[in-house]
Amino acid sequence: MIRNYFKIAYRSLWRHKGYSMINIIGLAIGLTACFLIYINIKFELSYDTFNEKIDQIYRVAVDVKRPNIPVITTSSAFEQIGPSLQQDYPQVKESARISGARFLVQNGAVKFQEENAVYTDPSLFSVFTFPVIKGDIKKGFEAPFTVVITQSMEKKYFGDSDPIGKTLTLDSKYPVTVTAVIKDIPTNSHFKFDIAVSYATSLKLFPSGPANWARIRGYTYIVLPKGYDFKSLETQLPAFANRHYTEADRKEGTNYDYHLIPLKDVYMDTVRGGPEWGDLHNIRIFSAIALFILLIACINFINLTTARATERAKEVGIRKVIGAARKQLIGQFLSESVIICLIAFLLAILLSNSLLPLYNQVSGKVTNTTIFTHAYVFHLFILSCFIGFIAGLYPAFVLSGYKPATTLKGKFSKSGKGALLRRSLVVVQFSISIVLIVGTIVVYTQLNYMRSQPLGFQKDQMLTIDFFSDTAVQRRLPVIKQELKKIPNVISAAASRSLPGFGNGNSETEMENKAGNMQQMLIDAYYVDSDFIPQFEMKLAAGRIFSKAFGTDTSRAFLINEAAAKSLGFTAPADAVGRKIKQWGQNGKIIGVLKDFHFQSLQEPVNPLSISNDPDFNKVLTLKIGSKNIPATIAAIQKRWKSLVTERPFNYRFVDEAFNAQYAAQVNFGNLVMYFAVLAILISCMGLFGLASYSTIQRTREIGIRKVFGASVTEIVNMLSAEFLKLVMLSSLIAFPLAWFAMNKWLQNFAYRIEITWWIFALAGTAALVIAFATVSFQAIKAALANPVESLRSE
Amino acid sequence: MIKISNLEKFYRTEEVETIALNKLSMEVATGEFVAIMGPSGCGKSTLLNILGMLDDPDAGSYVFNEIEVAHFNERKRADLRKHNIGFVFQSFNLIDELTVFENVELPLIYTGVAASERVKRVEEVLDKMQIMHRRNHYPQQLSGGQQQRVAIARAVVNKPKLILADEPTGNLDSSNGNDVMELLTDLNEQGTTIIMVTHSEHDARYSHRIIRLLDGQTVMENIMV
Repeated sequence: MIRNYFKIAYRSLWRHKGYSMINIIGLAIGLTACFLIYINIKFELSYDTFNEKIDQIYRVAVDVKRPNIPVITTSSAFEQIGPSLQQDYPQVKESARISGARFLVQNGAVKFQEENAVYTDPSLFSVFTFPVIKGDIKKGFEAPFTVVITQSMEKKYFGDSDPIGKTLTLDSKYPVTVTAVIKDIPTNSHFKFDIAVSYATSLKLFPSGPANWARIRGYTYIVLPKGYDFKSLETQLPAFANRHYTEADRKEGTNYDYHLIPLKDVYMDTVRGGPEWGDLHNIRIFSAIALFILLIACINFINLTTARATERAKEVGIRKVIGAARKQLIGQFLSESVIICLIAFLLAILLSNSLLPLYNQVSGKVTNTTIFTHAYVFHLFILSCFIGFIAGLYPAFVLSGYKPATTLKGKFSKSGKGALLRRSLVVVQFSISIVLIVGTIVVYTQLNYMRSQPLGFQKDQMLTIDFFSDTAVQRRLPVIKQELKKIPNVISAAASRSLPGFGNGNSETEMENKAGNMQQMLIDAYYVDSDFIPQFEMKLAAGRIFSKAFGTDTSRAFLINEAAAKSLGFTAPADAVGRKIKQWGQNGKIIGVLKDFHFQSLQEPVNPLSISNDPDFNKVLTLKIGSKNIPATIAAIQKRWKSLVTERPFNYRFVDEAFNAQYAAQVNFGNLVMYFAVLAILISCMGLFGLASYSTIQRTREIGIRKVFGASVTEIVNMLSAEFLKLVMLSSLIAFPLAWFAMNKWLQNFAYRIEITWWIFALAGTAALVIAFATVSFQAIKAALANPVESLRSE
Repeated sequence: MIKISNLEKFYRTEEVETIALNKLSMEVATGEFVAIMGPSGCGKSTLLNILGMLDDPDAGSYVFNEIEVAHFNERKRADLRKHNIGFVFQSFNLIDELTVFENVELPLIYTGVAASERVKRVEEVLDKMQIMHRRNHYPQQLSGGQQQRVAIARAVVNKPKLILADEPTGNLDSSNGNDVMELLTDLNEQGTTIIMVTHSEHDARYSHRIIRLLDGQTVMENIMV
């Protein structure tokens, strides 16, 4: 029986190739989109699950509460907290600290700037599951100036020779011994590093040390017993905090709130953040998109199968007459739909496998390098069978319910009920597609808006070289600047700690407000030299900028931006000039107010900012270069840099590129939404094409009669297309409010955002209409051009 | 074998009610060959559908092999049908996706006959219908006469007690039509009861008895000699 089902299914598919193609390709595309999203989401949700103690590991995070300033939430803790918790609470079995660092790492001639370095405890390797390949962490990693490296680092610095016991040099001055080699950190770890320097090294280099309860630094993880309720420990932490307040804390009225975050929630913790974090919101959006695309493909299947019912009705009649029971027919139709889904499944595997690199590129994150892991393909197989079953159910019940007495006589009428259902489903498909089209337009318009807004500073042709605050370079900066400026096409040079788009530090600052009181604020802080502001063409609102003519500028002079002046209560920027300011223990004066410039992406509002002139903070050197002959200029700068600064590699970026890179996440989001919108409309149109062709075939006789009685080709094309275009218009009406609601919510993430105007909807609606018309009119024109004699004879 | 009495069937559209069968009564004995004739719309096909349990009457009684079946549900009717009744249609109604062999095999599959037994029985009946050499062809590769022979083979493969034929020669030329009528006569002589709807006086002459219908009622019965 089953064999017979499959046989007839196969032959039926083959006989109706066009219909089968639409069905199978549509489903395959839907499955592919769904599958790629699925494995991506699976990856995001798999973060940190490779750790054997995942259910026992907690991150300790501290919230800082100080009088007069908002609570500062962090994902970090005091250096000393891990060991102290272990001491005070026996249920804390283990603890490990990890804090980020970067070094210039050198082994003989091999020398690289390593951005992914950490300081950490030996216990890290027993808390987390990072398998050791060579050497022994227990032996030696407690000692200062020891390191553990990953396999990639081993290859990079030592090639094939055994690195254990060998020496690397950090920042050209600290020799460190390699004690162990570990496997590379899995890509789904929320922190990653290539080289781990022993925490003892950190305590040696920054000797304020373990007893210090003022330094919140890095991340602390603790291990609790299996099945232990971490909340019961958390409730004891206020008392713990109280025991460890410093003199200064008590004097200032500072409070610390400790929180334990289960490791399995750490990656998705967007509030506290961390070295790397995911976005549940995006996961939800893309899950919805995946489901919708699958729904669209299933609707095609249902629509095309029921539309073809007239053709199959005769077969159903014959089978029933011959003795088929209804359930046997249901079985037959279900196996047909499952077969279609399984063919689509095979196609989807091929498609997914070849599109995975593109998906990774578009999404901006390499999640999976192959689809053949984690039994993912098996999941897709199950999904395909399930869809075949679900999508086949309705047609199977409808088709198997036909009465043979009517179908065999050819008296079978096109049931109005089925047509209504098909129309409703088409409306669902196009509503989804139009929502996605509107989404795409809004995302791109917003991105364009952010990129084209005036930023308040000059970002073009700014080449910036990072020397990582190397003090040796800092000291020679005036000479280096002078020498580099001699290169033709280098217009000017300025040093600073931060640059717009590169991120910056913040600082607790007291400033004199309008009422004359010292107001405490946590504000963003820039440190620049006196060439910086002219070079970046930032505009002055009041007062003056830094000048070498004033000797005290490097220690006592501060600039603030208009936002800072406003937060102090000054409506006229000039009123802020001359006011007192205190930062990092240094008393000074506000000498000028800069017009607001976007030092962060336009997703953020322009926050209060202070700018000071301390040369010891400089980290990067930025050169303004002419627009002509840029590659040659870069080559000349590199050559000059190498002779001037032998110890530092020539790491450069362009400021405009770095600034726009802040929008990478939004660009990727926009690209993905666009790709899926294209897929949605493509699959919907394939279904529409199939439906239109069936409906045209059914109306062949009607078209023939109309033509005989004088209808023109245009009139017939209009008549046939109108039926479907009305559906698309109805879909627009449903989609517009939904899209407006969703995209308005999305736009709330941006401090500077576009208004969703009518033209976006008009554009999306017109696009859907034009695409649908192109799809439908092909069939309609073909039918309208046919000779009516033929169509009337065929009846 | 068949006894119907006061059978009624109506067709309703939104505004009109048409009477297809109007208190019709008739009997058919086992082994008979009955022809039903009448103009278009007289209720011939409706009667045949009800006799074949493809449709149910609105009123009246239908006794098949001493069982009252008028109010059977679809599943019971289907079960009774597949073991007892074979159908032959004017338009053959073969399944295009199946070969000759597979079309004939289908009823055996639905009645749950084992595969080896199926091959034997299909070959036997194809042989008898002289269509064995076409066993692996698809219906659209055959002439009308050949298709109807396949359809008859399919109708008899399950050894039904009753064959219902709805204008079996309607789509055939006279020579192929005569062949089909000869086949039906042979089957009848071997004991199968046959009820045939036809427009052709020529074909009706093969039967034992002609029932003439008009407006859903019997108007005349001719006994053939």
